[in-house]
Amino acid sequence: MFQLLPQAIVDGILIGGIYITVAIGFSLAYGVMHVIDFAVGEWIMLGAFMGFYLNRWLGLEPILLFPVIFLSFFVVGLWIQPFIHRVLSGRRGNPVLMGLVFTFGLALMIRGIALTVFGFYSHSIPSSLAQGSLFFQVGPILVTIPLIRLTGLGYAVLATMGLYYILHRTDFGLAVRALAQHKEAAGLMGVNARRTGGHVYGLYTGISATTGALIGCIFSISAQMGPDYTIFAFFVVVLAGMGYLPGVPWAAFLLGFVQSFFLIYLSPSYTMLAVFVALYLILLISPKGIFGKGV
Amino acid sequence: MGYPVLNVQSVTMAFGGLRAVDDVSFDVKPGEIVGLIGPNGAGKTTLFNVISGYLKPTQGRIFFHGDDITGKPPYDLAKIGIGRTFQIVKPFAGLSVLENVMVAALLKHPSKKNAEANARAVLEFTGLLDKAHMPASSLTLPGRKRLEIAKALALEPSLLLLDEVMAGLNPTEVKETTGLIQQVWDRGVTVLLIEHNMRVIMSLSHRVIVLNYGEKIAEGSPKEVAENPLVIKAYLGEEMAV
Amino acid sequence: MGRKFYASISVVVLLFLVVPLVVHDTFYLRAVTEAIMWIGLAVTWDVLAGYTGYLNFGHGAFFGIGAYTTAILMVHKGWPFFAASIAGGAMAGLGALIAGIPTLRLRGAYFAIATWALARAIQQLALILDITGGPDGMRLPPFLQPRFFFYVMGGTVLIIFIVFWYLFEVDPFGLKVKAIRENEDGAMAMGLNPARIKTKVFTISAVPTGIIGGIYAYWITYIDPPSTLGDLVTDQAVVMAVFGGLGTLIGPAIGALIISTFKIYFWAYLSDYQVLYLIILGGLIALSVVFMPDGLWGTVYGKIQNARLAGSKEKR
Repeated sequence: MFQLLPQAIVDGILIGGIYITVAIGFSLAYGVMHVIDFAVGEWIMLGAFMGFYLNRWLGLEPILLFPVIFLSFFVVGLWIQPFIHRVLSGRRGNPVLMGLVFTFGLALMIRGIALTVFGFYSHSIPSSLAQGSLFFQVGPILVTIPLIRLTGLGYAVLATMGLYYILHRTDFGLAVRALAQHKEAAGLMGVNARRTGGHVYGLYTGISATTGALIGCIFSISAQMGPDYTIFAFFVVVLAGMGYLPGVPWAAFLLGFVQSFFLIYLSPSYTMLAVFVALYLILLISPKGIFGKGV
Repeated sequence: MGYPVLNVQSVTMAFGGLRAVDDVSFDVKPGEIVGLIGPNGAGKTTLFNVISGYLKPTQGRIFFHGDDITGKPPYDLAKIGIGRTFQIVKPFAGLSVLENVMVAALLKHPSKKNAEANARAVLEFTGLLDKAHMPASSLTLPGRKRLEIAKALALEPSLLLLDEVMAGLNPTEVKETTGLIQQVWDRGVTVLLIEHNMRVIMSLSHRVIVLNYGEKIAEGSPKEVAENPLVIKAYLGEEMAV
Repeated sequence: MGRKFYASISVVVLLFLVVPLVVHDTFYLRAVTEAIMWIGLAVTWDVLAGYTGYLNFGHGAFFGIGAYTTAILMVHKGWPFFAASIAGGAMAGLGALIAGIPTLRLRGAYFAIATWALARAIQQLALILDITGGPDGMRLPPFLQPRFFFYVMGGTVLIIFIVFWYLFEVDPFGLKVKAIRENEDGAMAMGLNPARIKTKVFTISAVPTGIIGGIYAYWITYIDPPSTLGDLVTDQAVVMAVFGGLGTLIGPAIGALIISTFKIYFWAYLSDYQVLYLIILGGLIALSVVFMPDGLWGTVYGKIQNARLAGSKEKR
């Protein structure tokens, strides 16, 4: 029984890496633009499909396609953001809630378009890395690390480091952090909220889509896959404590571990349910996240 | 006449290692207007938040008319007679001015009709009656400050906590609001106010309490406090116009 | 309650009683019954969303819980319809209480995703359990009387509407709820307990939705997880309320009438393109929020209010 535990931990870390990238973009968008993007799962789904079709048409190793996917969705995000900005600057009632309703509608629309264009089928993106695995054996304990998932972790580390570098070592990042802390003051210092917000949103959609392509190499993809990932992103952010970015990696790994744990010991259909129950209990006991630093 | 209206006993409010309020004790007697002053960041609003139930003090107790109210939530305190205004004024934007005050009036007058009548009376008292049906979001800053006071008054409190009501007002508006506070006091409400405007503090307060870095550094009549070297030092460089 | 209100309600009731006598084609009767159902669903969603400022993106779960409770009680326990549907409402209310404790602590926007996630969990549950028939769903004892269901659905929604009108427009409760929407901290200073009020509204929005779900189950005779616990119920209720006008009772009703009429014709004539419906729904929500945030009724009513205010100013 416990022989499987190390595998569960390893699986958790590997999956956690993916969750980190999903969640970091998500909370960045919230921190800067104060919008909770209901469509995060759909961006992931779109990126996955773009990776799938590009791989099919061009025959290229999917990982090489990542920069293309990133740039494409950066542009898409840039294009959508003005609408969000307009909603959030509205005078009527509660702009943050209206922003959420907007992204809710956006998600629905994207999902509908995806279903129409891609149909109800599942696919998977073939990657040369999907074949290999690393094996570690210590006594009776065997741990398998599929190369593609290791790549995923590597991608997550790179993306997080890249984001950190941008946020803390560039002028753009400084503007972003200023904007997140105080919109008006940042504006007075010459930070254009609309443009900077646009770049951040583009960054976020780009990362999410690219993560989607990665997910496509590891798991199967379908036009309906979006909502589950939106829920994951939300779980991680709430677990970490809303607004508390440093908590995200820990929460992501925890979620990954919980999920892998249930996956190994329970059947797949019960896994999601078990994760939901776990989250419900956590919210009940500690609504400020595992570090108690949530808002 | 037994208990003071408000008795703050050794209240400390710590956030991690930072003591925003450090072992502060004082009384507010019935019928007084007490001013609470201190440089920015001295802990005045934090103290208000503790007294009005938004924060639970790390240490210490608070008594209202002799009853222990430490840690009670704001809605319970409103029911027993503590009203407060907020430094950053946020009216109920989607509601009309009248409706804003009605929400407060409903506390003591649960029927909608009575609440409306009382709310109108309060609006008249604060000079906002002509704007009763306008959306609260359409008011300018002085109007919003008045509305803030009106809402607190409609609770029919015995203790009114005012947090920098003069901030952002021009001299005429300051004079009007000062007059309003005096009228409120005439009606028998005890007032504790945070202010940076020294002229207002000097003219209104019976007593003044001074905070600096979370600690109480002085207490006394306005004149005594103005001449206190510790207070002058705390405001180093600032002129206290008397 | 004003005379105008009684007058309008009387007109509605009259129309309502007359419809089945005039409309003989069952297609149209069912269409109207469905439109009335959506009025109920949109209005119950709006009291939490528009009035209180909390978006329940799992609203459909209440509908589904009511449907399944009614089905299980009627099929497995032999309960009569009316008792079973009331029980459906009660279960939905219980669900609201249980779900509300942790989720209502979250600020408005996170509440939306939390409720959405919980609703999906409940759908998962229905797919797994035997008692709910799993993915095959459940069949209820057939009772094919379109007129009966027209009256039951119509009567129920009418009662809901009147009760809500009283609670949220006449009684001071509505004012308190709106205060919480505008400024929760400020509302606390006014003597209001946000947690208690939010929980009350959450439950108030759940119970009628559960009853409507119960009626739906008996009416359609067959329920399964995707149709009653899927996102589609919530999605439509949201569109109708947003498009019609949040924060009012009439807004969602108008939105529901317009969109369900559109839907019935759309599905009847273009049934191949049901997925297209999702796109239209989503697009409508997004566009309404950007270009018409007060909704149809909200914008119209706002203009009337402004004209009234301007008029009274000029009189001086």
